[in-house]
Amino acid sequence: MPDTLWFVLRRTLQVAPVVLAIAALNFVLLHMAPGDAADIIAAQSGGSSAEFVAELRQAFGLDRPLYQQFFIYIARLLTFDLGYSYVQHRPVFDLIIERVPATLLLMLTAIVIAFVIGVLLGIVAAMRHRRLLDSFVSVLALIVYATPQFWLGLMLIVLFSITLGILPSGGMATIGAEMSAPARVLDIGRHLVLPALTLGLFYVAVYARLMRASMLEVYSFDFITAARAKGLSETRVGLVHAASNALLPVVTLAGVQIGHLLGGSILVETVFGWPGLGRLVFDALLQRDLNLLLGILFISSLVVVIANLLVDLLYGLLDPRIVHK
Amino acid sequence: MLSNGRLGLFLAVALAAAAPAQAQAPGQCGKTGGTLTYVYHPEPTALSTIATSAVPVAIISTKIYESLLSYDGAAMTPKPSLAESWEISADKKTYTFKLRRDVKWHDGKPFTAEDVKFSIEKVVRPYHSRGRVYFGDVTEVATPDPHTVSFTLKEPVPFFMNVFQPGEAPIMPKHLLETIDTSTVAGVRGSKLMQEPVGTGPFRFKEWRKGSHIILERNPDHWNKGKPCLDQVILRVLPDGAARAIAVENGEVDVAPMSGLPEAEILRLSKLAHIRTSKDGAEALGPNMWLEVNMREKPLADLKVRQAISHALDRERIVDVIWYGQGTAARGPIVSANPVHFNKALKPYQYDLGRANALLDEAGYKRGPDGVRFKLTQHFLPYGENWVRLAEYVRLELGKIGIAVDTQSVDLGGWLKTVYTDWAFHLTSTFSHNYSDPSIGVERTFTSSNIKKGATFTNSMDYKNPRVDQLFAAAARETDPAARKKQFDEIQQILHDELPVIFLVELSYTHVWNKRVHGLITNGISMYSSWDSVWKE
Repeated sequence: MPDTLWFVLRRTLQVAPVVLAIAALNFVLLHMAPGDAADIIAAQSGGSSAEFVAELRQAFGLDRPLYQQFFIYIARLLTFDLGYSYVQHRPVFDLIIERVPATLLLMLTAIVIAFVIGVLLGIVAAMRHRRLLDSFVSVLALIVYATPQFWLGLMLIVLFSITLGILPSGGMATIGAEMSAPARVLDIGRHLVLPALTLGLFYVAVYARLMRASMLEVYSFDFITAARAKGLSETRVGLVHAASNALLPVVTLAGVQIGHLLGGSILVETVFGWPGLGRLVFDALLQRDLNLLLGILFISSLVVVIANLLVDLLYGLLDPRIVHK
Repeated sequence: MLSNGRLGLFLAVALAAAAPAQAQAPGQCGKTGGTLTYVYHPEPTALSTIATSAVPVAIISTKIYESLLSYDGAAMTPKPSLAESWEISADKKTYTFKLRRDVKWHDGKPFTAEDVKFSIEKVVRPYHSRGRVYFGDVTEVATPDPHTVSFTLKEPVPFFMNVFQPGEAPIMPKHLLETIDTSTVAGVRGSKLMQEPVGTGPFRFKEWRKGSHIILERNPDHWNKGKPCLDQVILRVLPDGAARAIAVENGEVDVAPMSGLPEAEILRLSKLAHIRTSKDGAEALGPNMWLEVNMREKPLADLKVRQAISHALDRERIVDVIWYGQGTAARGPIVSANPVHFNKALKPYQYDLGRANALLDEAGYKRGPDGVRFKLTQHFLPYGENWVRLAEYVRLELGKIGIAVDTQSVDLGGWLKTVYTDWAFHLTSTFSHNYSDPSIGVERTFTSSNIKKGATFTNSMDYKNPRVDQLFAAAARETDPAARKKQFDEIQQILHDELPVIFLVELSYTHVWNKRVHGLITNGISMYSSWDSVWKE
């Protein structure tokens, strides 16, 4: 299939300039803010002499002209060298890699929760269109959608951790306890419930709304009328014929929303003390740790662009018309 | 030595606060074993105060590293630590310390005088943020034998016995320092030793899970037999203030040191039966908050204008409403909790808008048709909600006396650059630590030699008074405590009268802990001490 191959190649080649442009934009935006890491380190030490700050700046390469810093940064990126965090005193790549598993676990769990519950609610709402259950689901989705995540997280902590006392308030595992492997998994699971729920509930609302709309659209198609005419039960029409076809846009959205989810995880990881990438972003922002911030932004933009690419490619496979355009 | 009575009273208060149920002699373990978990945010960026002496680093690294001395009480009376005895020469220029012979590094190697010499000369003096203040006058560090170290000073340094705190002059292992590049700041800060420390202290490093926690475990070979009381000390990093408070409330965490919780939460938790709070135990830090005034700007160069601003702000109100009662109205540059150097004769500036208006009239700043005399911009230290509310309050009160204030909000990096590099501000809130001696913590803000572009937390105001310069210089050399006290008294009076900054509030570091924890408050740097005698029911 030369057409498909050509399509894959073309879309892949388009990724590189996009990623580089994003990296350049990140660099410019972050350097537009006044002050730098040397100032912050000096301040956190309770104040330092001007010589000390100058020494730091020289050691970090912050004393060079901005254009030089920029070219050094881009040249390093081309070899996938993310540089060194002068605040954390470690290579940026190491800092990011050790946080990835925690964030992936949180994000995947949240997506699964959001997808399963959201899609089910959407189907129910669509099948009971304009009835009480539909209104109930829609209002509920609206409320959850409008609730700030940090507040929702705190309320869940108050309910489950303080009032009921059945779940831990934060962290990813019980610290310092010796445990067998299955007990350890269970322990992480207990810690995962509240943050994943907090992060996922927002998307439950999104998916429920989208699934409902998509179902209603599919209901208007001829093949649904045909299915009904065949005498199939309404449940079968809804679940098998409508839902499976309505699912496509929701799947697409789930793929595209990975970047968005990463943004949401900053708040959730902060509230729950979850040791993931979102926390790393939060700390890097506060500390003006530019190299680390640039590294995280680069990796996350890469992830988003690749996720989009995969969705595009998937589309190409699912709908051959797209390849030929 | 100056205030045994005060020390006794302090200990009694500390004991009453720390161990109401089971009175225990200070320094003894009421129980051995157990894990103490404390919570703080931000996470330390290193485990040595050489990398940065920021609060989170100072709290944890002082359990791992020791210095020659430890300290007793708010007055910080020196007592033995790595040094078991010391001698000070009659001219106060030579300090000789006899070191313990039974000390081992956490990796099992013996500790000797060479470690002290190497640490001070190669690491603490060049790279600790206050290293040059402490050891700049040291001309020689001699090690006549493996268990003796002596420091020779160019001129007497009256605070020299204060500097051997575990966070300020940590002694590090020479045999490991030699494996890193100590010739550059990057070589030292980037070394593995900053992340995986090897000290002599009662706790040794076990595990650091970034973003989550750090575990320290008991050092079974510690020279102080029977110590520490605890098996483990764990730091949990929780970035959200409310979540930290919840963890303390439900007992998941034992201690939230150094005002690590939002003030409103401290107030709420302090009413719970199982929670203790105390503002004691940070006397040798002395955080003091003020409005820095840029005297290069015309209206602010006028003393009457500064006096008017000082009279227009109600300090009691700032403490009660903005800081939820966690602080004391400030009268001058040295905090009143300093048992030695505070000048009690200073009179507070009364909140008096009538007087403030009169002063501005006298200064010739008449109100325009819109009621405004002149306009100022205001920055604020971007350390959270309280500072935003303070800025709002300042804007409100100064508006009442005809000064229209425009508040500018920038993040920490931007604020530091605006105030200390560009000097492009009129008023800004900030705070500064007194530390254990005014020559260390106070001098840097008020002498004319500290008007230096790019040096953070220095004389941003452009305040120049030759008499103040002269007094600070003299006090930094004065070895007679009474004469020194007089010098500091005069400095405080001048600064109080001339108002290069508008003194507002002596902030307090409030520590919050579960009542099952005992022995936390021991001296003026309680959270930067080793916690070897802290125990848990």
